[in-house]
Amino acid sequence: MEQNPGSADASPDLGVQLGPLRLKNPVMSASGTFGYGEEYSSFLDLRRLGAVVVKGISLTPRAGNPPPRLVETPAGMLNAIGLENVGVERFLSIKLPFLRDLGVPVIVNIFGNTIEEYGELAARLEGAPGIAAIEINVSCPNVKKGGMVFGTDPAMTSKVVEAVRRATVLPVITKLTPNVTSISEIAKAARGAGSDLISCINTVAAMAVDIFSRRPRLANIFGGLSGPAVKPVALRCVYEVVRAVDCPVIGIGGIMSATDALEFLLIGACAVQVGTANFINPASTVEIIEGIERFLKVEGITDINSYIGSLDTGCLFPFADDSCAVIESEIL
Amino acid sequence: MAKIIEQARIISQERISGQILRLRLHSPEISGAARCGQFVMVRLREGTDPLLRRPFSFSRIYPEDGEFEILYRVVGRGTWLMSQLLPGSSVSLVGPLGNGFELPIEKTAALAFIAGGIGIAPLLELIAQVISDRGAKGLENLRLFYGARTAAELLPEDFTRAIGIRVHFATDDGSFGFHGRITQMVEELTAEEDLLLRRPHEVYSCGPLAMQYHVARWAISNDVLAQLSMESLMACGIGACLGCALPAQTPGEPQSERFVHVCEDGPIFSAGSIKWNKILVQQMPPPTWVFN
Ligand SMILES: Cc1cc2nc3c(=O)[nH]c(=O)nc-3n(C[C@H](O)[C@H](O)[C@H](O)COP(=O)(O)OP(=O)(O)OC[C@H]3O[C@@H](n4cnc5c(N)ncnc54)[C@H](O)[C@@H]3O)c2cc1C
Ligand SMILES: Cc1cc2nc3c(=O)[nH]c(=O)nc-3n(C[C@H](O)[C@H](O)[C@H](O)COP(=O)(O)O)c2cc1C
Ligand code: FES
Repeated sequence: MEQNPGSADASPDLGVQLGPLRLKNPVMSASGTFGYGEEYSSFLDLRRLGAVVVKGISLTPRAGNPPPRLVETPAGMLNAIGLENVGVERFLSIKLPFLRDLGVPVIVNIFGNTIEEYGELAARLEGAPGIAAIEINVSCPNVKKGGMVFGTDPAMTSKVVEAVRRATVLPVITKLTPNVTSISEIAKAARGAGSDLISCINTVAAMAVDIFSRRPRLANIFGGLSGPAVKPVALRCVYEVVRAVDCPVIGIGGIMSATDALEFLLIGACAVQVGTANFINPASTVEIIEGIERFLKVEGITDINSYIGSLDTGCLFPFADDSCAVIESEIL
Repeated sequence: MAKIIEQARIISQERISGQILRLRLHSPEISGAARCGQFVMVRLREGTDPLLRRPFSFSRIYPEDGEFEILYRVVGRGTWLMSQLLPGSSVSLVGPLGNGFELPIEKTAALAFIAGGIGIAPLLELIAQVISDRGAKGLENLRLFYGARTAAELLPEDFTRAIGIRVHFATDDGSFGFHGRITQMVEELTAEEDLLLRRPHEVYSCGPLAMQYHVARWAISNDVLAQLSMESLMACGIGACLGCALPAQTPGEPQSERFVHVCEDGPIFSAGSIKWNKILVQQMPPPTWVFN
């Protein structure tokens, strides 16, 4: 670890290189929790964020699921919004200009019902000024395959990524679902198909019921769990993926504080996305950036990249020295 | 005004009756900008239990003192924690949020206010503003129709008398006032000649969903303008999560599937803007794997 206690006052360098994407710090908003950015503009200076990831966009507008769409659960929440969004045309004409004019890197999260739709979306975004990268949400059902979720099958994941890769020169991020047996298999498939980066996790499939009305709490019955409750699951997933692929990984899931974000960086995520925390504290993202900066200063770390992936999983036996042998020989 | 995060100091907390309490907060920025019908998201406690903020309407606003009040009913964990807040402590607020009521332009119009249970909260500030707009005269054709399940859930008499306009009470079980649905009472009373309310110019209402539905139906069939304060579960309160959706009516397009969002497009809606049959007769669709 690069340490320089002498210059603890100097601002540490928070810049990270995510494959082809250079960010001034590793903290972004997570898709679907930050609207199209503007919703948060009165709470914080959006230009301070590493990037803004916008709500998932489809080819045509989507109305979303019927309510109730939300329910709070212990240390988390379930949502079944149903990917309500304005569609790519209105996104480009109405939503994107605001962020573009601010100069904040915009990452557009996309999803489709078919492999072709993913490709068409990427092609439509290609060349639109102000887009820094595309994030592919593969946690959606493939309508041509009986509703099987793209991201639960390595072959389908790789087809989606290929379709997007062919259609764009923008950096491509594939966002993985944790609702699989082996997330590293899916990660390898995405990387193999040309994804520049992997982000994970999306929400965890879950459900909640009401014993009095005897009804599910969500109209959709199932929902996606997010918030502090998913952080340990997310850490495990990111840890596995970091070791499975040779590209940078973005950690997502239950990040509420700088400490949480640093945990993901420690296990090897090169950047993080903050989701549910934005609902509870709309200024979370900026406070997390400030917290990371304070931590690095206190630790005397001048470059965040020397902290990333510095987890020590080696075994420590602090008492395994000669004095132990003496005690042992006396007992035996 | 822009929405902000503000740390508010608790000025006072008092139990009005039963499970209904009133909290007064010092929050100069939010109080200075708040309009009646708007709301705040309150973080009742640091940590993860409860995780999300809770929405509450402004029940009274005192901009010159930098203070406002929340009138609330304890129904669960969050509101219980709220009831434990002591003067001098502080809570984090996000606000002011939502669109708010539109005050009547005509200063002499007959107005009906309809409150079900704790739904009386946002109407208190609205009524106070209408009264101060009109002065002492012209209060005769302002009426509050106020109902609850049972007498014990109504606010005490000295409280309702202090509101300053005539109140007609209803209870579902008949334990106080009119026996039956509040909208039945409105229908019967507004049919009476002497009430000056044969046809209120406008209706403002807040209460349980079932009541709001009947108010909306009554308003539409009597061709009366209605402003309804609607509720929904909320995560963000600022239009970012899209969780607070209600099915929307699109004029001229009865088939269109569209949602409004209570925190951004509301909480105040006109009777015709909600697709009521899609709320009350909600069909459970088969589960899909589309979340988010
Ligand atoms: C715009 C708006 C303004 C509101 N203003 C007020 C107010 O002025 N005074 C007041 O007492 N309450 C108000 N509410 C309702 C208040 O937000 C809920 O009572 C509160 O969130 C319940 O939190 P809890 O943790 O105590 O209950 P929980 O433990 O979360 O839930 C307990 C019970 O309350 C129900 N509930 C939870 N949230 C809501 C909700 N948003 N609307 C209706 N029922 C709910 C649950 O379904 C459950 O049955 C308002 C709601 C909205 C959307
Ligand atoms: C209300 C809500 C909406 C979401 N919408 C999307 C979406 O449109 N596309 C997507 O890829 N992820 C979406 N997500 C998932 C988040 O981006 C994130 O992966 C997940 O919530 C875990 O992070 P968190 O615990 O910090 O919230 C959504 C999450 C929530 C809570
Ligand atoms: S509560 Fe999040 S959009 Fe309304």
